[in-house]
Amino acid sequence: MTEHDATADYEFVDDAIVDVVESKELSRRLKDRIYQTIEEREGVSFEQAGEIAQAVEARYLDTRVDPLDPVGTVSAQSIGEPGTQMTMNTFHYAGVAEIDVTQGLPRLIELVDARKPPDTPMMTVYLEDEYANNRELAHQVVWNIESTKILALGDISTNVADMVVQINLNDETLLERWPTYDDEGVVASEIAETIEDALGIKTRREGTLIEFGPESPSYRRLLQLVEELRDIVFKGIEEVSRVVIRKENNEDTDEEEFVLYTEGSAFGDALAIEGVDASRSTSNNIHEVHKQLGIEAAREAIIDETMNTLREQGLDDVNIRHLMLVADIMTNDGTIESIGRHGISGSKDSVLARAAFEVTVNHLLDAAIHGEEDDLDGVIENVIVGKPIAIGTGDVDLRMGSLDVEDADANAAPEPSDD
Amino acid sequence: MVDVSQHKLVPEHTKLDDEAVEDVLQEYNVEKTNLPKIKLKDPALPEDAEPGDVIKIVRNSRTTDKAVVYRLVIE
Repeated sequence: MTEHDATADYEFVDDAIVDVVESKELSRRLKDRIYQTIEEREGVSFEQAGEIAQAVEARYLDTRVDPLDPVGTVSAQSIGEPGTQMTMNTFHYAGVAEIDVTQGLPRLIELVDARKPPDTPMMTVYLEDEYANNRELAHQVVWNIESTKILALGDISTNVADMVVQINLNDETLLERWPTYDDEGVVASEIAETIEDALGIKTRREGTLIEFGPESPSYRRLLQLVEELRDIVFKGIEEVSRVVIRKENNEDTDEEEFVLYTEGSAFGDALAIEGVDASRSTSNNIHEVHKQLGIEAAREAIIDETMNTLREQGLDDVNIRHLMLVADIMTNDGTIESIGRHGISGSKDSVLARAAFEVTVNHLLDAAIHGEEDDLDGVIENVIVGKPIAIGTGDVDLRMGSLDVEDADANAAPEPSDD
Repeated sequence: MVDVSQHKLVPEHTKLDDEAVEDVLQEYNVEKTNLPKIKLKDPALPEDAEPGDVIKIVRNSRTTDKAVVYRLVIE
């Protein structure tokens, strides 16, 4: 927005008000907001306008970061100091809803390193409408998410004499896990088909009894088939090994609802399942969040996860702005970049800054080979060469002398003396 | 397909027209390329976005009511 006449745009703003507002050290956007507010109030007195402008300016200057303030360094310190306390009290897992989740320092490191996949991926799955209140419907969603393997469905026995593997499927379990079918035989035939496809062999089925064996009698092949059989996923998402269902209070509606916690994560697959609330469910894998919901959601997820990690440790007095800065930097180029040798710190412009971080010799050698130059703009490189760093007062040159009275403004500070 | 924009983690993304882009660049006194980036394949992008477009993002801020940021669409 370029300079314009505010008195023309706003009915209740006159020249005197414009003068007082324009004299404040505020951005164009904030000045316009003041005019709008005056307009909405349908006019205020000149004194009130002055007070409003004064208050806005005071608040603005108060909350603004000082010029040359090293915000990144301050953030690093502010997260690092509580980090030293974390080392002492945790290096183990603690459960949320009986699911083991990496916490404490290991989790914090994992987040800023943007390691994929995380050590203990998990999802928090919220349910839609009737699925959230009805236990049976909620369980349907559970069976669609939790990977079902053969051991959960029945007993396997290996008959070495006849060279056959026998599976005795449990009728009740079948009907429970495939609620859309009302005949266990149909389910059993589907299971038999899945086995045939996965193992490439023929099966014989009688009711809920499935039997198969190797093409030619071979003891080794028989055991191998049993091994492979155990890994086949008959239903659900392969990555999710366990789902815990919990009744929780929905903060928005203040009603009880079922919430699923999963061990293992496949965010995209889970969101597509019927009954899953795709507007609230989340994963603790920031890369999956990035892939499914985009970079802005990934940024939010990084802030949430880091803050929660700190909070679990009782270190929630870390100001959220530091974590926001970290998340902003990590997502700045549209992808998730780690903080470290392979990410942010490794892509710094300065050779000396990179060399000071990790693998010193490699960086110096590469720089020498490519004839790199160092502008000495940053902190680390100036510490190395022993120059003042360009931060805070280090970037301001002070000169002593006297003001020329004729040029000086009448309101200027008193003339500095030379003594 | 899941509607990404409905998710609570996803803030509102809107494409800016050329005039608005000029205003933004002037207000912050920056070049387009100085803005944070967003990939073209990002699922939260408006459908008609192309590389070189500037996307206005209105976040529900943790420190204030709303926070407006801009991202440049890249390949």
